[in-house]
Amino acid sequence: MSIKINHLTYIYNPETAFEKKALDDVSLEIKKGEFVGLIGHTGSGKSTLIQHLNGIITPSKGEILLDGENIHRDKAKLKEVRRRIGLAFQYPEYQLFEMTVYKDVAFGPTNMQLSKEEIHANVVAALETVGIAPELYEKSPFELSGGQKRRVAIAGVLAMNPEVLILDEPTAGLDPKGRDEILQAIKHLHEERGITVILVSHSMEDVAKLVDRIIVMHEGKAAMEGTPKEVFCHVKELEAMGLAAPQVSYVFAALKERGFDVPLDIFTVEDAKKVLMDLVRQVRV
Amino acid sequence: MKMVKAEGLTYEYTKMLETDHGTEEEKVTALKAVDLEIDKGEFVVVLGHNGSGKSTFAKHINALLEPTAGTLWVKGMDTKNGELIWEIRQSAGMVFQNPDNQLVATVVEEDIAFGPENMGIAPEEIRHRVDEALATVHMEKYAKHTPSKLSGGQKQRIAIAGVLAMKPDCIVLDEPTAMLDPVGRKEVLETIERLNKDEGITIILITHYMDEAVRGDRVYVIDDGEVVMEGKPKEIFSQVERLQQYGLDVPQVTEVAHLLRKEGVDIPADILTVEEMVGALCQLKLTT
Amino acid sequence: MIRDITIGQFYPVDSPIHRLDARVKLSLTFLYIITLFMINSFVGYLFVILILGAVIQLSKVPLKFMLKGIKGIMIIILFTAFINLFMTKGEHVLWQWGFLSLTMEGIMLAAKMCIRLVLLIVGSSVLTLTTTPIQLTDGIEFMLRPFKKIGVPAHEIAMMMTIALRFIPTLLDETDKIMKAQQARGADFDSGNLMQKAKSLIPILVPLFISAFRRAEELAMAMEARCYHGDENRTRMNRMQMQKRDYNAFAIGVLYLVAVLGIRYATKIFGFLI
Repeated sequence: MSIKINHLTYIYNPETAFEKKALDDVSLEIKKGEFVGLIGHTGSGKSTLIQHLNGIITPSKGEILLDGENIHRDKAKLKEVRRRIGLAFQYPEYQLFEMTVYKDVAFGPTNMQLSKEEIHANVVAALETVGIAPELYEKSPFELSGGQKRRVAIAGVLAMNPEVLILDEPTAGLDPKGRDEILQAIKHLHEERGITVILVSHSMEDVAKLVDRIIVMHEGKAAMEGTPKEVFCHVKELEAMGLAAPQVSYVFAALKERGFDVPLDIFTVEDAKKVLMDLVRQVRV
Repeated sequence: MKMVKAEGLTYEYTKMLETDHGTEEEKVTALKAVDLEIDKGEFVVVLGHNGSGKSTFAKHINALLEPTAGTLWVKGMDTKNGELIWEIRQSAGMVFQNPDNQLVATVVEEDIAFGPENMGIAPEEIRHRVDEALATVHMEKYAKHTPSKLSGGQKQRIAIAGVLAMKPDCIVLDEPTAMLDPVGRKEVLETIERLNKDEGITIILITHYMDEAVRGDRVYVIDDGEVVMEGKPKEIFSQVERLQQYGLDVPQVTEVAHLLRKEGVDIPADILTVEEMVGALCQLKLTT
Repeated sequence: MIRDITIGQFYPVDSPIHRLDARVKLSLTFLYIITLFMINSFVGYLFVILILGAVIQLSKVPLKFMLKGIKGIMIIILFTAFINLFMTKGEHVLWQWGFLSLTMEGIMLAAKMCIRLVLLIVGSSVLTLTTTPIQLTDGIEFMLRPFKKIGVPAHEIAMMMTIALRFIPTLLDETDKIMKAQQARGADFDSGNLMQKAKSLIPILVPLFISAFRRAEELAMAMEARCYHGDENRTRMNRMQMQKRDYNAFAIGVLYLVAVLGIRYATKIFGFLI
C-alpha cells in the first residue's frame, strides 16, 4: 500500500481573525514498507499532516490517495482508512480507559467488529510486539510505569492490524530506558511485521538511528527530503529551521573545516567511531 | 550556612496493591539515607531515571513532603518544623514538570502575583516584583496574555517568574523541560543559567537529560533512592558504563570518546562538547 | 468545533466598558437582567436593544463575536419558541391540530420570550467579554463578602471560579485530543441509538476525568509550593478602586432603570402598544 499526498493545503479557522495556514501545497509519497522520519519544530505542520493521513482532518485543498483512491471519496470507508493507517498520538497513554490492559488493547479490534478469536489473536500479538508480558494483561493500565503505559497505548493501535503506523513523538517525556524500550518495539514491529512506519520526532539522534528517509517540515511545507545521510549534512539549513543535526555531525563538520579529509554524512556513534578509528590507524601507520 | 543540607534523609510510604488475595500493603522506600550539601549560589543537577527517587527528593526541599527519618535543612531551617513551612517555601521555590498544571490565573501577570499575594506583600511591592520577574524571564510583552495561548517554553518561563516574584534564594526545578520541544527546552535552560549567573540564585535542576546536566557545577546521580555518584560533570560523565547501568545516557561525543578509548586511542574520557572533541582529535593527530 | 464555545471568554481591547470596575459591571448586569423581566412590551424591548447596542458599540467588541454566544443556546431558544408558540391558549386561534394550537397570543409570547433570551445572553456576554475573569471573580468575591458571616466561603468560591476558568481551555483541548485518539481506534460517536451513544462516551470521559484529577493534584501541590493557604493574610496586586467613571456608570444605570419603569407604566396606561 502506498500513500500519495497531492498539493495538500490546510487552513485553520478560515475567514476569521485566527486564520492560519498549517499546510501549504504539500506533495509527498510514502511507499509500502518504508520507515520515514518526519521532523520539524512545533507549528511546522507535522501534526496537522499526520492527522490528515488518518482522515481525522479533511483537507482544505488537495487530496490524499491511499492505493490510488482518495480517502475522502467515500465517507463510509473512512473507518476502514483509520484502521489501515494507525495513528498513535503524542502522550497516547492519556487515551487509556479500560479496567485491564487486555480490554483496553481490545477496544480498537472490537470497534472493527472482529470475531472473538480474531480479537484475541490481535491483542496478544500486539502486546507481544511492544514487549508487554502476559502477567500484565489483567492488570489495570493505570498501575503500570510510564513507559509501559505508552507501549500498551501503542499496542491499542497496533491491534487493529494497520498497514501503516504513525507515531507522534512516541518518546516525549520518557527517560533513556523508557525511550530505548519504545524505539526497540518500533524497530521490531517494522522489521517483523513489515509495517510502514512514520515516526514524528524532535530527537535527531532517534531518527538518525532508525529511519530510511527523512521529511523535514517547515512553515507548512515539506522543506527537505532524503536519506538521513543526505539531510544531516545540511547542518546550517536545519539550524535555520530551528532544528539541529545529531551532535556527532557537528564534530565532523568542524574537522572538515580544519582541513581533515572526513566524510560529512556521519550521525551515529557507531559510524563516528569507525571513521575516527580509520583516521587514527592511518596516522599510526 | 548551607543552602540545602540533607542528613540520612529517608522517605517511606505505603502502597496499596491489588492482588488475588485482596488488597495488600507494601512499604516502598523512595529515599534511602540521602546525605548531601548544596552551597549558596551553586548550580546543582540531580540525575536519575524515572522512579529513581529524584522527584521525591525535590519535594522535600520545598517541604511538600516530610522525611520519615533523617533531616533536611533549607538555610538552616528544619523542614519538619511546621512553623517555618512558609518561610522555607519562600526561600526554596519550586517549578514543576507540567507547565499547564502549575499556572493558577488566567492572565500572566496575575499568575506571577499569586505567590507574593499569598505571602501578604503590599500591593505596590507586588506590582514592582511582577514587572521585575517578567523582565528577568524576558516575557514583559506577555504580561496581559492568557497562559493557555502560550507555548510550553513560555509557560515554563512564566512559572519560573512566579517563583522569582517570591524572591527565593534557591529554585528547585523538577524536570522542567521533559514536556517541551527543543526550542522550549533551550529557552528554559538559558533562563535558568541566567538566574544562576546574574542573580546568584542557587539552582537545583532535577532531570534525566545529559545535555542539561553538563551545564551544572556539580552533579548528583540518584538510583533506587540512593545517591550513587557525586562530582563535577566531567568526573561523572567520564564513567560512561556506570551511567548506562543506572539507566542514563551520555552525550554522543562522550560515548564516541569512550569507544575510542576502549580501542586504545589516547583521548581524554571527560569530553562533553563538540569543541572539546574536535580539540582532542586535533591534538591526537599532531602527537601520534 | 469544540473551540467555538465563547461563553466566559474575554475579548482583549481597551474600551470605556472594559475600564469600568467589575463590581459596577456586575451590579449593572444584575440590574439589566431584572429589567428584562419587568418589560413586557415591544416598545420596551426596542428601548433595551437601543441601550444594549450603544453599550456594545462602546465596548469595541465586534457584534459578530457577541452573537456567536447565541449559537450555542440556539436549541434552547428554539425549544422555548416552540413551547410558547403551540402551547399558549388564547382567544385568537389561527390553527389547531390535536392539542397543538397556534394563537395570536402564542406568537406574541414566543416572540417576546425569544427576544428576552437573546437579550439575556448577549447582555451577560457583554460582562464576560469586557471583564477579565480575574476581575470578575474578584468582583464576585467582594459582593459575596457580606455573606461571609453566615458561612458563605467567598474567597474559596472565587478561587474555584478562577481555577475553573483557567482550566476550561486546557480541558477542551484535551477533550478534543482524546476524541481524536479514540476515533483513530475506530470509536464512533455519531451513530447508534441513545444507549450506544451514551456508552461511546466512556472512552472519552474516563481518560478526561483521570487527567482532570491528575491536574488537580499537581495544581494543588504547585499552589502549596507558592505558599497558598487560603485568604488569611492574603493581599492582592490589583486593588479594586471606584473611579469617577464608575459612579457615572452607576448613575446611568439608575436612569436606565427609571426609563424602563416609565415605559412599563406608560404601556400599562395606554395599552395600545401591546
